Parts: sequence; C-alpha cells; structure tokens
Amino acid sequence: MASTTACASAMSAASAFAGRTTDARSQRPCASLPSFEGLASARLPTLRHAPQQLSTAHSKALPQQRKGGIRCASLKELSDRIASVKNTQKITDAMKLVAAAKVRRAQEAVVNGRPFSENLVKVLFGVNQQLQVEDVDIPLTQIRPVKKVALVVITGDRGLCGGFNNFIIKAAEKRMRELKSLGLEYTIISVGKKGNSYFGRRDYIPVESTAECGQTPTTKEAQAIVDEIFSLFISEEVDKVELLYTKFVSLITTEPVIHTLLPLSPQGEVCDIDGKCVDAAEDEMFRLTTKEGKFSVEREMVRTETPDFDANMIFEQDPVQILDALLPLYMNSQVLRALQESIASELASRMNAMNNASDNARDLKKSLTTVYNRNRQAKITGEILEIVAGANA
Amino acid sequence: MSLNLRVMTPIRTVWDGQVQEVILPTNSGQVGILPKHASLLTALDIGVLRVRTNTQWVRIALMGGFAKIESDRVTILVNEGEKASEIDPQEAQKTLEFAQLGLNKADGPRQKIEAKLAFRRAKARLEAATQASSSGTSL
Repeated sequence: MASTTACASAMSAASAFAGRTTDARSQRPCASLPSFEGLASARLPTLRHAPQQLSTAHSKALPQQRKGGIRCASLKELSDRIASVKNTQKITDAMKLVAAAKVRRAQEAVVNGRPFSENLVKVLFGVNQQLQVEDVDIPLTQIRPVKKVALVVITGDRGLCGGFNNFIIKAAEKRMRELKSLGLEYTIISVGKKGNSYFGRRDYIPVESTAECGQTPTTKEAQAIVDEIFSLFISEEVDKVELLYTKFVSLITTEPVIHTLLPLSPQGEVCDIDGKCVDAAEDEMFRLTTKEGKFSVEREMVRTETPDFDANMIFEQDPVQILDALLPLYMNSQVLRALQESIASELASRMNAMNNASDNARDLKKSLTTVYNRNRQAKITGEILEIVAGANA
Repeated sequence: MSLNLRVMTPIRTVWDGQVQEVILPTNSGQVGILPKHASLLTALDIGVLRVRTNTQWVRIALMGGFAKIESDRVTILVNEGEKASEIDPQEAQKTLEFAQLGLNKADGPRQKIEAKLAFRRAKARLEAATQASSSGTSL
C-alpha cells in the first residue's frame, strides 16, 4: 500500500504539473492513466497540492528538471514504483493471454453446436413447408396484446473487462425506460453475477429471477433459463420476452443487442426490436485466427442449405405437434447461443482492457525509468562535486 | 444392413455411428426403427432411447426433441442427451426424489409446469441408468 500511495502522489504531482505546462512528455502518462489520476484526486486531496508546490519550487530552482514531470519521489520510492508497475504489467499480460485462450474455447463451443443448429434449421424449414397451408396455433408463437415484457439480461460474472458489463446494463436501463414510457410493465431475468448485484441493489427494478452461468455455458444452464421463460410465457404472466446480450462482432468490437425471443415466429426468424428479421438459415460464426503474431477474428456467413423433405415423408404426429416439439429446442439453442456470444464478448473485452493496461504499464515504466536514471545521475554528479570541492578546500 | 445414427445436442454430439436397431420414445409411444424404414419425422418425448449395435443394447436418456429418418439415416436432435454409462444411478435417484418433493410442493400454474418438467427429466435419467446396470440385453 505504501508504494501505491507513493505512486498516487507521484501521479498527482505529474498531473498537476502537466496542467501547468504544455510539455508533451509529462502529459503522456497522465492522459493514458486516467484511473490513477482519479484515484489520487479522490483519496489524497491534500497530497495533490503539496507536491505541486514542491514541484514549482523545484522548477524554479532547477528549470532543467521540468521535462521529467515526476519529481517528488526519492530514488527508493521511484525504484519501488518501477518494480510495482513491472509486477502489474506481468499480471495484466498474463490475464490477457488467459482471456485469449478462453476465447478459443468459447469458439470451439460454438463450433461443436453447429451440426445441431444446422439440422434444426433444415427440419424447421421442412415442417414449415408442410404447414404453410394450415393455420397454426402453437402456444410459443401466440401473439397476444402486450401488457408485460420479460427482459433477459445477460452480463458477465467478473469485472476487469472494460465497459462490457456497463454497456449491457445501460442498454437494459434504456430499454426499461422505453417500456415505461410506452406504459408497459416489465420484469428482469438477470443472468451473470454483475447484473445480479446491480439489479439486486436497486429495489425499484422488478427482478423475476437471477441465474449464473459460469465460464462454459451448457444446455443445463440454458435450459434453466428457458424453463423460466417458458413458464412465464405459457402461464400468460408476460406476453413478450426479449433477450439482451452482447453480440461478438470482432475482438475489438462487441455490441449490446436486443432480440425478441418470444413469441417465436414459426418461420424461425430472429427479430430485433426494430422489426428487422434475420432468416434462421443464415448463420454467422466467428473464428479466432492469428495474423502475423496478432490475434484477429474472421466472421463468416454460413447459409445452411434447406432441401425439401422426401415427398413420402411420414409425419408420425400432426405437423403442428412436431413444430411444438421443435420450437422449444430452437428457443434453447437461441439462448445458449446468446450465452456463448456473451462469454466470447466478455473475454474479448477483457483481452482488450488488459492489452491497454499492459501498454500503459510499459509507457509508465519507461518514463519512470528515465526519471529514475536522471535522478540517480544528478545525485552522483552532486556527490562528485562535493568531493571535488572538499578536495580543493 | 445398418442404420446411421446421429444424436446431437446444442453442445455436443452424443452418438455418431452405425447401429442395427433404434427404439425411439416418441410423443405417441415407442417406435422401433430397422434398416430400410420409410422416411419419418417424429417428435420425441422426454424418455429413454434404446440403441442396438449387434447384440448390445445401449440406453440414452433424451430430454425431448425430434427424430428424422431418411434413407437409413436417423438424425435425433435433443436439448440434452446422456448415455446410461454417463449417469450415476444414485445421483439420478436423489434428483428424482428431490423433483418429487418439488412436484408435491408446487402450487400455481407456473410452478406446476416447471416441477412437472423437472420430474419427468429426472425419471427418464433414472430409467436409463438403472436398466443399464441391472442387465445388458433386456428392455
């Protein structure tokens, strides 16, 4: 803690100093580390002024010292600080690599689920063709006048991943306000620890239930969520279910999206709130690759072929009944997919955040080392001068 | 003559290989499938799927889905499937008892739907697990 305080005071000195000068070098570490500055100003309001006076005094006495910016610390403090920055950098580097490895695993999970979703879409189309003439009445596709909406909000379990959790919670808040202004009731089904604690702290937000899904979402977890949604919808407690999750676009871009989960369209279309619909046969998948030693993501569109059924296909049950068995499966794979995308996004955000942190640490370490060396040299020069002066006398 | 059976769940493929006979737990009762079966599409209930490879019967607990039979290829899509060898009978027994309790306690239409589903799943798992441990060939 002692070293952190030293860091904070050094940083605040740097930031205070940077405010008074246009020197680019002294500004850089402050601009790249806003959190440090914030920490310093919040916790050490007195220290923030003290070093400033100190540094002004120094800059008057030694104008050439201006360039360093970080001037208040002693040699010992500086070397401690360098060591602590070094350690932090090691940690953030490791966290970045862990996140990268996990993104790969998340991707594998999506790949393993592909044969399932492909076949599901094929059959969904086949059954649909048989049904086109009939007027279907299936509970999950029933469109009722909407009085109450269930929002399924998928967040992460952990922090240190940039704005990931914030963005999705903001999106949820926005949607809640919209629903309220439309005069509709809503309830939240929260998935993930971060969301659970956020909604748990706020009494005015009605929370139906909370769930956690860990790092590798399985069908069991998706099933638990689907069961909840299913019973809410079938018992007519809610008339619409929307899924809020973070879509994995690329390693640097993830975006919160809102999808309508229920009522399902029998065509197997996925619709967002603006009414834009995506055909279920069009499937995107992401693939993590390495390009010249750097991670990158390829996202490919896959169009599943939807061949017609054998003309003599026997339907053991009524096509309506078969569709009834099919749609819950489809719903489940949708929820699982959302969970997987959300996990992948979280990991990608963490990778980014940790990458930035490592870069910042590297910059900070470099400027600190410069100051340290300059101070050390000044000290040695001073000592030599003293000795020479002493010898002369 | 053999059938090509594929049992798939959203996260993995439970079975992929050649088999001689399949008995499906459909919504309208059990349906046996042998090679050269006519094309068929059927919804599957929560129950036990029985698979014969030569003389060996294998049981798989299925959690609802559907099956498609087309030119000797059986494609089964389910939410969840567990081979009997993957299920611990004692654990399954406990889950069933727990689900039974839940069913007795449930009130209100919503809780009843949930409890009923949980109970049927637990029952199917136990059925798959215990029959496998008692004997190899009987149904």
